[in-house]
Amino acid sequence: MSTGLDQKPRRLPKPTAFHRGDRVFTRLVTVAAFTSLAVLLGIAIFLGTQMIPVIQSQGLAFFTTTEWTFTFAMDESDEVKFGIFGMIYGSIVLALIAVVISVPIALLLAVFVVFLAPARVAKWMTNFIDLMAAIPSIIIGLWALYIFQPVGVEWAALLNQYLGWIPFFSVTSDNFIGSPFIAGWVLAIMMIPIVTAVTREVLDRTPPELVNAAESLGCSLWTMLRYVALPFGRGGLVGGVMLGMGRALGETVAVYFVLKLVFDVNLFRILDSGGGSVATMIVAKFGEAGPQELQVLLASGFVLFIGTLIVNIIANAIVNRTGKLKS
Amino acid sequence: MSQHTITYEHSGVRLEEIKKQSPLRPWANRTAKFKLVTALAALIPLLIIAVVYAFTEIPGAIVVVVIYLPMQIISAVIAALLVGGKNAAPDAVIIVLAIGATMLSIIIVASILFTIIIKGFEALSLSFLTQNNEYISPPTPLGYGGIAHALLGTVLIVGIAMVISVPIGIATAVYITEVKGKGANAVRFFVQAESGVPSVVAGLFILTVFILSGAITQSAFAGALAYFILMLPTVARTSEEVLKLIPDDLRTGALALGSTRAKTVMRVVLPAARTGIITATILGIARVMGETAPLLLTALTNDRTIWNPFGDPIASLPTFIFFNVSLPFPSAVSRAWGAALVLMALVSIVFTAARYFGTRKFAKS
Repeated sequence: MSTGLDQKPRRLPKPTAFHRGDRVFTRLVTVAAFTSLAVLLGIAIFLGTQMIPVIQSQGLAFFTTTEWTFTFAMDESDEVKFGIFGMIYGSIVLALIAVVISVPIALLLAVFVVFLAPARVAKWMTNFIDLMAAIPSIIIGLWALYIFQPVGVEWAALLNQYLGWIPFFSVTSDNFIGSPFIAGWVLAIMMIPIVTAVTREVLDRTPPELVNAAESLGCSLWTMLRYVALPFGRGGLVGGVMLGMGRALGETVAVYFVLKLVFDVNLFRILDSGGGSVATMIVAKFGEAGPQELQVLLASGFVLFIGTLIVNIIANAIVNRTGKLKS
Repeated sequence: MSQHTITYEHSGVRLEEIKKQSPLRPWANRTAKFKLVTALAALIPLLIIAVVYAFTEIPGAIVVVVIYLPMQIISAVIAALLVGGKNAAPDAVIIVLAIGATMLSIIIVASILFTIIIKGFEALSLSFLTQNNEYISPPTPLGYGGIAHALLGTVLIVGIAMVISVPIGIATAVYITEVKGKGANAVRFFVQAESGVPSVVAGLFILTVFILSGAITQSAFAGALAYFILMLPTVARTSEEVLKLIPDDLRTGALALGSTRAKTVMRVVLPAARTGIITATILGIARVMGETAPLLLTALTNDRTIWNPFGDPIASLPTFIFFNVSLPFPSAVSRAWGAALVLMALVSIVFTAARYFGTRKFAKS
């Protein structure tokens, strides 16, 4: 049966072939379209060049040590030392804590919205998750500082009291304020809507015929999730978690309010006061920075940029590939 | 139709009788036993922890996490075994945990909104919205001074960022969907990569290129440039989604009538996508409005009202909150809460507007 619908549409000639106005238009649009490339390259080049003098003066110690000279307190002749290992390590620790807390919650939320909730509740919850994502980080930081921190301190004290024999929950002092644990919770609160949104979309994309087939074979919800939905959306789930992690690595002000910034590396005692975060360190040090320290901050920004860029590119590649699986 | 009737009559069943039967709906088959067991499974653990919480000194967090949650899971499993058999047990666990996760996130958001409203209203007054901080110092009581300058700053910065990023964002989307240039996939990739740039890095970039080089000073314009970097990917991606939904008939129709590619895009495609593009703009605004870190580096703050976007450091709502919270004066912190309430109200308005435009049909084919 030939209806003509199966014919491929004819490709129109390139606009440059026939009109001068079109040529101008196409060029303009093309130039504008590559703005994001220009921005990315600009960041890489301008912040990257700040890296060179820092590496020249600090060497690899910039990445591997934790010493930080407080420039306002020293003489001109003193040798200054800047090492951001504690910050990089702290950022990763914070992101990991946030992942550990937020992923189960986000996954369960997504399962609730997609498979459990009645249609109206599901729609309401989708809006709710989007609203959660729209809350500015400074407001979350403010709330965390005044409302969440006391609660978090209480939880931390309880964890330490009953599970203190686990190395992670041991402490060196009784001060639980400003710990990576609390900052990790705040980051988790910011990650939940991001991870939930991606997870929800991925679970929603599970082909309905597979879900229906599983259910008509008598699968329970758990069996269906375990053998159909989760394997199908695995890539998207991993990608969503990484997208959230990229956001957590770059988050600045919310962490600034609840994390006590210390340059010494806080290896594993997540309940102990004090931790590191590259993004927060940049903002915290910016106000008092001299020219040389400013250069170090810019170089740290470059490190942060490269780190988040890699995480994001991998995450996007995974999410995009999962999207194509369905067709 | 007639065939069916014949078949049924042959097998001795009349069509009318089949029609009269209501569907069985096995999923709605909730027996009294099921209802009773479910209700008991939900209520008993609640009652027990209410008693525990009221009559013992055990902290609330432990009551909920160590006592209530396991008890609720166990009771749900027992209920599932009673009414649904072995396979229903894991489902019961998932349902309890999923509802728990939902409750937790609702509690968190409710707590945030509730706190802002309660604490913000203390500071809110007409003068708070219309005055600036020029003649007050942080310990001044709440009746004087306000956030008008910060509000104006946010509007200026977001406005300039919008004016720059919306045309470029739309052009990016047009390049991907209309021009379909060779680099379309690459452009999409770069836009996605740009959307992951941390806001503090955007601020550092503008700081190095424009401010440290001496081209411009810390001002609304510099802040807007940093916002532009964050806003562009959102505008471009949403516009792309919208342009993809415009039916091809419109394009081919315009071209067949003799329109050029440029005119097709400008006069047919973009007007047809008007509401969608408004949504894209609003989503872009929502993305940047509360961003603090880039403004700390590029716009700083100010106590006076600044109208000139190029000359002086300027206050904005996020930086106003940031600097006031760090001050050791209750009235300053109270002002920060007031500003947070105004900022949240603005975000909610923008969010609702995006929902409103986003659900309207923008292309009538």
